[in-house]
Amino acid sequence: MSDVVLRTRGLVKRFGTLTAVDQLDIEVHRGEVVGLLGPNGAGKSTTIGMILGLVRPTAGAAEVMGRDVWRDRENALANSGAIVETPAFYPYLSGRDNLTALALIRGGASRARVDLLLERVGLSARAKSKYRTYSLGMKQRLGIASTLLSDPPLVILDEPANGLDPAGQREIRELVRELAKEEHGVLLASHLLYEVEQICDRVLVINKGKLIASGTIAEVTAGAGTIDIAVGDPARAGATLRALPGITNVQETEAGVKVTAEPARGADLNRALAAAGIYASAIVPHKSSLEDVFLEITDEGGPSTSGAPAPS
Amino acid sequence: MLPLLRSEVFRLRRRWITWILLLSVVVLAFVLYFIIYASVQAQIQALQNGTLSTTNGAPQTEAQLREELQTLRPAQVMSFGLGVVSGFGSVLLIVFTASVFGNEFNWGTLRVILALGAGRERFLAAKYAVLVLYATVLTIVGALAALAGSEIVSSIASLDSTVPSDFITQLVLTIARTVFTFLPYIALAAFIAVWSKSGGAGIAIGLVVYFAEGIVMSLLVAFNKDYVTVANFGLSRNVSAIARLSGSSSGTGPAASTLPDPSQAGQAALVLLGYTVLFVALAMWRFRARDVTSS
Repeated sequence: MSDVVLRTRGLVKRFGTLTAVDQLDIEVHRGEVVGLLGPNGAGKSTTIGMILGLVRPTAGAAEVMGRDVWRDRENALANSGAIVETPAFYPYLSGRDNLTALALIRGGASRARVDLLLERVGLSARAKSKYRTYSLGMKQRLGIASTLLSDPPLVILDEPANGLDPAGQREIRELVRELAKEEHGVLLASHLLYEVEQICDRVLVINKGKLIASGTIAEVTAGAGTIDIAVGDPARAGATLRALPGITNVQETEAGVKVTAEPARGADLNRALAAAGIYASAIVPHKSSLEDVFLEITDEGGPSTSGAPAPS
Repeated sequence: MLPLLRSEVFRLRRRWITWILLLSVVVLAFVLYFIIYASVQAQIQALQNGTLSTTNGAPQTEAQLREELQTLRPAQVMSFGLGVVSGFGSVLLIVFTASVFGNEFNWGTLRVILALGAGRERFLAAKYAVLVLYATVLTIVGALAALAGSEIVSSIASLDSTVPSDFITQLVLTIARTVFTFLPYIALAAFIAVWSKSGGAGIAIGLVVYFAEGIVMSLLVAFNKDYVTVANFGLSRNVSAIARLSGSSSGTGPAASTLPDPSQAGQAALVLLGYTVLFVALAMWRFRARDVTSS
């Protein structure tokens, strides 16, 4: 049996002349946490909307556990739990009653199950309080509890740490990792790139509706970095390095030059400078973080390459 | 659809508005008997004391007032008590229906429920079913409250409280007819709320149609009787035709004589059913393929 819990094929959504999502092919497997990244307006929410049958795709299909979300909606979505955009519940109901009301839609859940989930997200003490009295962090926790009501193979979390304090964010990170250990496939949309870096097995970066990079964090950040070189004549060093193949960005600084290049190329650059009679007093490589790579590949004015090009 | 229905009932039972509206119908249907009794009794007293005379502005004679008291008898509960429940209930149900549909959009809970895999048509169908159930409960409870008010006032005023042998049958039929006349207004309020994604719009347009349509049609017919055919395809005149099967007042005003006759109740029922089906179909059609986003 395949371990793919979510698969989209050629997913397209157009709003008039605007293409919000363009030929998106993604997969999420059991036991992995996949980060869905992209700047505001990149198409993340539209993609999640199509996966959950809220937004009708212009073309393509989304399948949860091999079942088409639009053709076999009930059976497909019975295998998923999701927070869509922001958590939304009935304000006049308590946290417990909200979970009970949602569970009834899928045939019901025992009181013990509801209480267990409330305990898991740290809401037991406020289970009887009305939802409208909850803080944003508590609403997020209730949202996460709701995604687990039927223990679904696919869990979709849209900005789950939004509104949480640092301790709460850590708890959510631990919870998400636990979900993966329990063989849930988790699709996590987040703006908190350090959070993604810590908990995601793979990332998908979309921009203007297109998948522009995908792979493990190591794959996406591989080859990306900068090297600071301290030299006495930055202008001559800069001109020498710009002539090297694969070097596209060299900035002259007060202390020398800053080169955008794979950190492992430090020795190459030193050799080239020495051959030109320029001797470096220091060479300091910096590996790019996911945030650096994200900002670089999603920047409209920046290069459009990535560490791991998206599958065509 | 049963799980959706159970969830709807669970949620409605926990909303205060559900109970407040129900309570207001009960209170109105019950208390109105006492208000009318007290008012008529005060006028009779005034006529007898000479502080009010038919020659100096009293609208009715004592005999007419005593005749009016007869409408408070239990035997008249179908025409009077249920007439009140019907009029007030329509307004409450428009407000309640629009709120039940519109709040799902306002609170964002619609996308949560749909993301759980609930079918869109089934989601709407469960809401319609619960609202019809609520309308039925509201009418039954209102009728019982009116009956209780009528019994108590009859005993205070020494009115004849005997009822015909087929009273229960007639009461059940009248309750069924009353619920039936609610359907197009429920469907209209739901349709507007779904199309506009707003409970407020459903309430506003629903109430405007409820209050203004009958007036506009009456004015139209009063202006030119040739418009009667058009007017008779409106909601209010057909609701009136169904209501008059239970002995409700035939209305007053220049266009009253053109109201559909109770003998045309079958046609009136078809017209109301047609509106109900049309509004439900339009709501389903719009909702079926609509993108559900937070905006």
